[in-house]
Amino acid sequence: MKKYLALLLAVLMLTAMFAGCASKETTTDTPAASTETAEPAKTEETKSEEPAAEEAPASEEGKVFNIYAWNEEFKGFFEKYYTVPEGVTVNWIITPSADGAYQDKLDEALLNQESASADDKVDLFLAEADYILKYTQSPVTQDITALGVTDFSNTYAYTVQAASDASGVVKGVSFQCCPAALIYRRSIAKDVLGTDDPAEVQEKLNSWEKFNAVAAEAKAKGYLMTASEAATYRVFSNNVTSPWVDENNNLQIDSAIQTWMQQAKDFSDNGYTQDCDIWSDECTAQMFKDGKAMCYFGPAWYFNFSMGNAQDAEKGCFGDWAICEGPQAHFWGGTWLLAPAGTDNPTMVADIMNTFINNEEVCTNLVKNEAQFSNNQKVNELVAQDESYGSDFLGGQNDIALFCDLAKNIKFENNTIYDQLLNEGLQANWREYCKGTVTEDEAMSNFYKYINEKYPTIVTP
Amino acid sequence: MQTTKAPKLKTKRSKISYAKWGYIFIAPFFLAYALFHFAPQMLTIYNSFFENYREGLTQVGPNFVGLKNYITLFTPDKNGTIDILKYAGNTIVLWLGCAVPQVVISLMLACFFTSYRLKIRGQQFFKTVIYMPNLIMASAFSMLFYMLFSNVGPVNQLLTQAGWIDAPIDFFNIRFTVRSLISLMNFLMWFGNTTILLMAGIMGIDQSLFEAANIDGATSLQVFFKVTLPLLMPILVYTVITALIGGLQMFDVPQVLTNGLGTPNRSSTTLVMYLNNYLKTSKNYGMSGAISVVIFIITGLLSLVVFKSLTKQEEN
Repeated sequence: MKKYLALLLAVLMLTAMFAGCASKETTTDTPAASTETAEPAKTEETKSEEPAAEEAPASEEGKVFNIYAWNEEFKGFFEKYYTVPEGVTVNWIITPSADGAYQDKLDEALLNQESASADDKVDLFLAEADYILKYTQSPVTQDITALGVTDFSNTYAYTVQAASDASGVVKGVSFQCCPAALIYRRSIAKDVLGTDDPAEVQEKLNSWEKFNAVAAEAKAKGYLMTASEAATYRVFSNNVTSPWVDENNNLQIDSAIQTWMQQAKDFSDNGYTQDCDIWSDECTAQMFKDGKAMCYFGPAWYFNFSMGNAQDAEKGCFGDWAICEGPQAHFWGGTWLLAPAGTDNPTMVADIMNTFINNEEVCTNLVKNEAQFSNNQKVNELVAQDESYGSDFLGGQNDIALFCDLAKNIKFENNTIYDQLLNEGLQANWREYCKGTVTEDEAMSNFYKYINEKYPTIVTP
Repeated sequence: MQTTKAPKLKTKRSKISYAKWGYIFIAPFFLAYALFHFAPQMLTIYNSFFENYREGLTQVGPNFVGLKNYITLFTPDKNGTIDILKYAGNTIVLWLGCAVPQVVISLMLACFFTSYRLKIRGQQFFKTVIYMPNLIMASAFSMLFYMLFSNVGPVNQLLTQAGWIDAPIDFFNIRFTVRSLISLMNFLMWFGNTTILLMAGIMGIDQSLFEAANIDGATSLQVFFKVTLPLLMPILVYTVITALIGGLQMFDVPQVLTNGLGTPNRSSTTLVMYLNNYLKTSKNYGMSGAISVVIFIITGLLSLVVFKSLTKQEEN
């Protein structure tokens, strides 16, 4: 009796273990195998399959619509202004973008797109200017004109260009246009410059020499020019004349970036700014009413989505802000909606894209209710000319009018697939030099090490 | 009766070997070990000889490159530092910072808790409390410390309000404070665990030995050094070696606390953070495999050193 009991137990234990193994192996093995072995073949396969899949838009589309994003911004607009077709469940997969976490998550999903079950396929994903090239240049995205997004007459040209591959095939659209401006605290500007009128402030801050000189005046009055030494980074990095790597994959640091590096160190040494990341609590704490920082830089999404502290009912300073062009025109970020190859909801993908660029009602709502600068020129122009429109946050200023002017100058060039992490890495490593914890050589050598770890093919000095 | 029963037993024994049940029952462990530990370990070593990474969405390799990854790891940079050795040094400093106080304090607590003369009340309560930090996820625990000690965090606010400092202390950018914080957190997380292990060890020692020592007039210190410590050695060695293995794999606390940068000047970058840097964006299995192998060798060597030195003391 005992013997049989022991035998039974032993058999149970073994089967349980093997059952465990088996299920584990199938789940872990398949994705791994497909990424490693199927990959070289995949590039060609998807290329050849793509048109075939598009020619016959399935009448029966998927029931689950998966959207990959790095924050809740678009989710908010989507839920408010887009009517999801009956029977479709929208599933948001949100991963923060810092340190490339979002890209990593998205890459895994896109590379496994083929083997994923219909309900797990990526149906739409969001990408930023910093790394959009990585996806548009790859067969993981597909031609949206074939899906039915064909009218780009009202969108800003750079948004279409940024979403196109080398041969001009459009792979996505942006729901916003992102000309960026100098955002300043009216009360501090009055104290330092003697005026808070956007035109007059612009006059006093329209070059870097003036900007740097005003920084010293602000310091003398007990203010900070910016809340982070990286606040001005985008203005410089967006005006580079050469990409991060040359044709032989050698790292190159553009003169505009070098100017920023010098400015960051000067500002830091002189106490014109704080040594912290632009997304840190330290930086955003300066947006409160008792904050000391005068200038921020950013597009429309920055002051409506990332300046929450300034809009805080108790501690904020809603309405004490205004925008002007600043020392140099630039743009920053932008959220593109890209169509992944292999989605099982192509009609819905096209419908969403069309809604957010061509539906004038939705675009007007985005501008008027959400303080967005939409990617529809016609709507933007109308609001710009609307005398009654003014942003309450900006003390009644018509920001759209200024953005309409700035949007004309945007050029999408000198981008690489490495931009996000190189921008983050340079700022983080250079900050240590600004703080004085490392020498300039050490900071650069740490930056090169960072690059070598992230991107083995980039040749660093 | 005995004479009749004995041969019967003997024949039974020769027919049935119970040993096979033993093997069957330990088989699952060995199978699981072979499948989930040994095989991946061999694969790691195998991978370390290949160039195998991702560039954007394109896969490069795997191409056999021999020892190239190891050569890259041990090539000094322009300033003459070999990165991996620097990070190994960081890891050991961070580990020592938490292991030394951990062993000392845990030994002390274990002695107090088990002492039949002290008879501490509410032992159960204290044991639970000191074990508590271990139940919190390391990343959550470091996030908490990150908030507490950030430039706008409560610690800096308190110190400023008390008038002790003028400007906030940048805790995460001063080598001493970052390292101290990391060691402190690891200490807090693990000293409860060590205390409980050591208590079990002390309770395993025959109480009559302590009594005999007391009757002979030994002081508490003498009892500790001449009776408790030598008899506790096997458990202590085990504790120190497991702590060492855990310490060399230190990752989550410094990663979260320094945003993965190992500030300042990479002085709090540990070996596993270094590995993670290679693995994260580029999925560089070759380089990270090579680092794993180096960590494996360092762990083996150090464990051997600890084992030899502690067991030698015991012999003396």
